[in-house]
Amino acid sequence: MVFEGPLRADADSILARYPEDHRRSAVMPLLYLAQSVEGSVTREALREIGALLQITTAEVEAVASFYTMYRLRPTGTHVISVCTNLACKLRGAEAVFEAAHEATGVAHGAELSDDGLFTVHEEECLGVCDFAPAVQINFCSHDTVSPERMRELVAGLRAGEVPSPARGPAFDSFKAASRALAGLEEVPSA
Amino acid sequence: MPVDPITLTIDDKEVTVPKGTLIIRAAEQLGIEIPRFCDHPYLAPAGACRQCYVQVEGQGKLQTSCTVAVAPGMVVRTQNTSDAARQAQVANLEFLLLNHPLDCPICDRGGECPLQDQALAFGPGESRFIDAKRVFPKPVPLSPLVGLDRERCVLCARCTRFCDEISGDRFLELFARSAGERVSIAAGEDFRSPFSGNTIQICPVGALTATPYRFVARPFDLTSGDSVCQHCSAGCNVRVDVRRGEVVRVLARENPDVNDAWICDKGRFAYRHADAPGRITTPLIRDRGLEPASFGEILPWLAERCRSGRVAFLTGGRLMDEDYYALSKLARTVVGTNDLDHRRAFHGGLAEVVAAAAVTDRERSVTYRDVEHAPVILLVGLDAEQEVPILHLRIRKAAARGAKVFVVHPRRTRLHDVAEHLPTRPGHEVFVLDRIREGVDGESFEARAAAALRGAGGSGVVLVGERLAEHPLAADLALAVASKTGSRFGYVTRRANDRGALGAGVHPSLLPGGRRLGVAGERAEVEAVWGSIMASEDGRDAQEILQACADRLVDVLFVIGADPLRDHPDAALTRRALANVGTLVVQSIELGDLEPFASVFLPAAPAAEKDGHVTDWEGRSQRIRPVRDALGISRPDWEIFAGLAAAMGSDLGFETLEELHEEMASLLAPRAMPERPNVWAGAGPPQWLDDLTLFTYPLLVDEGRLSDGAEELKAALEDPAFAEMHPVDAEKRGLADGVDVRLTTAAGDATVPLRVTEHVAAGSVFVPFNQPGLAANSLLSGRSTASVTVAAVDEGSGPEAVPDAALATGPAA
Repeated sequence: MVFEGPLRADADSILARYPEDHRRSAVMPLLYLAQSVEGSVTREALREIGALLQITTAEVEAVASFYTMYRLRPTGTHVISVCTNLACKLRGAEAVFEAAHEATGVAHGAELSDDGLFTVHEEECLGVCDFAPAVQINFCSHDTVSPERMRELVAGLRAGEVPSPARGPAFDSFKAASRALAGLEEVPSA
Repeated sequence: MPVDPITLTIDDKEVTVPKGTLIIRAAEQLGIEIPRFCDHPYLAPAGACRQCYVQVEGQGKLQTSCTVAVAPGMVVRTQNTSDAARQAQVANLEFLLLNHPLDCPICDRGGECPLQDQALAFGPGESRFIDAKRVFPKPVPLSPLVGLDRERCVLCARCTRFCDEISGDRFLELFARSAGERVSIAAGEDFRSPFSGNTIQICPVGALTATPYRFVARPFDLTSGDSVCQHCSAGCNVRVDVRRGEVVRVLARENPDVNDAWICDKGRFAYRHADAPGRITTPLIRDRGLEPASFGEILPWLAERCRSGRVAFLTGGRLMDEDYYALSKLARTVVGTNDLDHRRAFHGGLAEVVAAAAVTDRERSVTYRDVEHAPVILLVGLDAEQEVPILHLRIRKAAARGAKVFVVHPRRTRLHDVAEHLPTRPGHEVFVLDRIREGVDGESFEARAAAALRGAGGSGVVLVGERLAEHPLAADLALAVASKTGSRFGYVTRRANDRGALGAGVHPSLLPGGRRLGVAGERAEVEAVWGSIMASEDGRDAQEILQACADRLVDVLFVIGADPLRDHPDAALTRRALANVGTLVVQSIELGDLEPFASVFLPAAPAAEKDGHVTDWEGRSQRIRPVRDALGISRPDWEIFAGLAAAMGSDLGFETLEELHEEMASLLAPRAMPERPNVWAGAGPPQWLDDLTLFTYPLLVDEGRLSDGAEELKAALEDPAFAEMHPVDAEKRGLADGVDVRLTTAAGDATVPLRVTEHVAAGSVFVPFNQPGLAANSLLSGRSTASVTVAAVDEGSGPEAVPDAALATGPAA
C-alpha cells in the first residue's frame, strides 16, 4: 500500500477539497503526493489512486503519462530538466544538456545516474524562452544556464547545497517539490 | 420535412436536414463521401483524425466536417469542389501513413480496411517520408480476445471513446502525447469488458484485431449472412461470416431500433457451438447403441408411443417462433396434452399473460426506443449487463441523456455508476414495489422512484426480470406500479426466444397470443383456427412435468433444445425424472449431457442453418436466414413436429414456412390485452429472517452449451464458481474474504471460495448459476432461491475432504 497511515490522511485532505461528484479532479495532486514519497509514480500508486477516485487505472495512467512532471520510471533524488526546444537550442542548450550528462554521470540514452542521485531529462519547453537556455532543477527555474553554470549547479547539489532559483521557492529534492505541488506544504515565498 | 429544417449547399447542391446535423452527415444525404476515421455515428464528435476537412465559405480555416453542425445558408465545399480541402485531405492521409507499417498483406483488416480504402480513394499514392518508421512489439494482448498492433493505429480514439461513452468500461485510454501517443491499457490489467469486441469492429485500421479471428480468413474468402443473435433475448442483428462452411466470425449489424451498432462479446465470440464435437446430424436410436437411423423409421416408432402413452414436452429458449407454434399445435391438437412448458421455474402470473399478448401488440409493449427516451427507468430483478447486455447499453444511453435509473436487485449491477441501487434481499422486492405503488412520501428510494415515475408523463418504463416472477405476486405488483404511474411495462425474459415460446403458447395454460386455455371465449378463438383442442384442463409446468416423470406418470418426455440437467433449478429431481421416464426423446443439436438418458435423438438444425423468426424481449419478431445448409439430415424443429403429426395419422395444416406464417398471423394478430386487475392487497411489514437466502442467476459467460468451443471468450470473461456474502453476515459467522466455504441447502451442498462484498444485499448469498466448479442447480429445489447455511470448510480436513466430483455436481442423485 502506498496510501496508508499519514499518507492516507494526506490523500483524504486532498480529496476533501473537491465536491463528492467531482472526485476525479483530485487525480493530479494525488499523483504528486505519491511521487513525493516514492520519487516516481509506481504501478501500485496508479492503481490505488484509481480506487480512491473510483476511476480505472487506465484513466489515471493516461493523465500521468501525458504530463512530463510525473515520473513513471525510477528517478533520482534530483531531477534536472533541460529545455532543448528552438529558442533554447539556438542559445546553446545542447551543450548544457551534454554538460548535465557529464557532471551527473548519467549515460547517454539513460535517464538515471548509477548512484541514484540524478535524473537528466530533455524537456520540450519550460516557458521562459526570454531566459534561454532554460533549466529546471526539482521544478525550480534557473535562467540562461551555461555549461559551466550547469557543472556548478551539479557540484553544489552533490555537496548538499540547495541552489537558489531565479524565482519562486527552492526545494532540496524532487520529492519535496512534488509534495509542495500536491498542495500540502506552505510554500515559502521567494 | 424534418423538425427545425436547415437548408444549406454542399458542392453546389442544396440539402435540407434537421437542426444539429453535422456537415459530414448532411453530405452523406447527397451521396457525397467525405473521408473520415474518428467519426462514428454512434459516438460523440471528436475531430481527432483531421481527415474530413472541408471548406466552409466565410470561414478562414478549413473545418472538420464531423464536428461542425450545419447552419442556414451555409456553403460547403468538399474535396470535390475545393482544392484546399482536397489538398488538406491528401496531406493528412500522407501524415497518418507516416508511421503506418503498410503490412496490409498480413493484416486481418486488409481488404475491408477504411484506411486502405480511403488511402486508395483520397490519398497521395506516394509518401515522401524517408526515415525509419516507429515500431512497437506486436501484438499487445489487451485480453485473451483483443490484440493491439500499435504501429497501425491512427489515434482516432474510436475505441477509447466507445469505452468511455458507450460501455462505461474505461479500460482503454490514450497514453503519453505527441509522437509517443498510443492507445493502451494499464499495465497488468485485462480489457475485461463484455463489450470489448465492439472496439475491434469500429477500429478504422487493423490496430485492434480479434484473437479468435487472427489470420483465419481474408474478406474475399467469406460468405456472409444476416442473422439474429441467439445468446439472449436482446435480438441483436448480426452478420455471420462463413469460410468453407465453418462459421469464423460474427459482426454487429447496425439496427437503430434494436442494437444500434453493438453486440456483446458472447454474441461476437461464442459461435463454434454448431460445429462443436457431439453435433448430431441424423436421428439416433438407443436400442441400436445410438446408431444412425432415418426419420422414415424413427417417426412411426415414436408416433406409436405417443398414441398409446402419456406425453409431455419441455423446451429451451433457442427454438424459433415457427417451431414453438408448431409444437403448441402438435401438443394440443394431435398428441392431446397441455403438459408442455418452455420455462424453468418462473411463473410470471398476469405479467406473463400481458407479455404473451404483447407479442401481438407492438403498440403497448416496451421497445429499445422507449427505454432510450424514457426519463425514468425502474428495473426490478434484472442484472441487465449479465442477462441482456444490449438492453444494458440502452439503459446507459438513456442515463447519459439524463434519465433517472432505479434498480431494485439483490446484487449490485454494472449500472451502479449511472443508477440508484436499492440492494434488496431476494423475495423482499414485493415490499419495495408495494411502497412504490402506494407512492409513500419522504426521501426514501421508494418515494423518489414513485415520484419520478409519476412525473414522467407516461414515458416512464418499468422493466422486470424473470426471476422476480418467482414470488407469486411480485411481477403482478410491478405491473400495478406501471399501471398506477402510467408507465410502460416490460417483462424481460432472458433466453433468446422465450418471448416467442410464450407468444406461441408453449405453456401449460396459455395458447397462442396469450389466450388463456381456461377462458372459454379465448380458447374458442384458437379452436376456430386449429379445430378442437383435445384437453381443456391446464397442464403441468416444467417442475410438475419432471415430478410426474420421476413418479413414472409420464411415458414419453420430449426434451427439445434444452438441457434440464444444467438449466432446471432442481438437479436431483431432473436426474430422477430422466432415469424414470419410459421414453426420453431428445431433439437437439448435439449429444450433450442427456446422452446417458436418451432413448432417441432427433437432429435439429441450429439457427445458422434454418429460416424463421425469433422474438426478442421487446416482443419484436425478426427474420433469420440460413447462412449455410443444414448438416446431414438435421432439419428445423417445426418440420420434425409436422413429420411426427403426419406419422400419427394427422396433419398440422402446413407444409411450408409460408403456410405456417399465414396461419400464425391469424392467431398472433393484434388483439385487446386482458384487463389488469389489481390483485395486491398489501404486503405487511417485511419478515426479516435470521437465515440466509441463496440466490443465483447465470452470468453472461458461463458453462452454457451455446458457449461450447469459445475458449478465448471464457479465458477473457469467465470466473470460476464463487459465493458472495455481505460483510455483516460474514462477520456474524466469522468468515473472511477468500476462504473456502461450504454452502448447504435442502437439496445439497457445495464448497466454493467466498467473496465478502457490500455489493450483495445483507441476508443473501449469491452464487452464479453455471460457472466452472459448481452447477448451482444442485443446491436448488425448483426455484432460483433457497434457504442456505454457510460455514467455513474445516481447516483440519483439508482439500481431500471435498472431492472434486462433489464440487462439480453436489450430492449424488
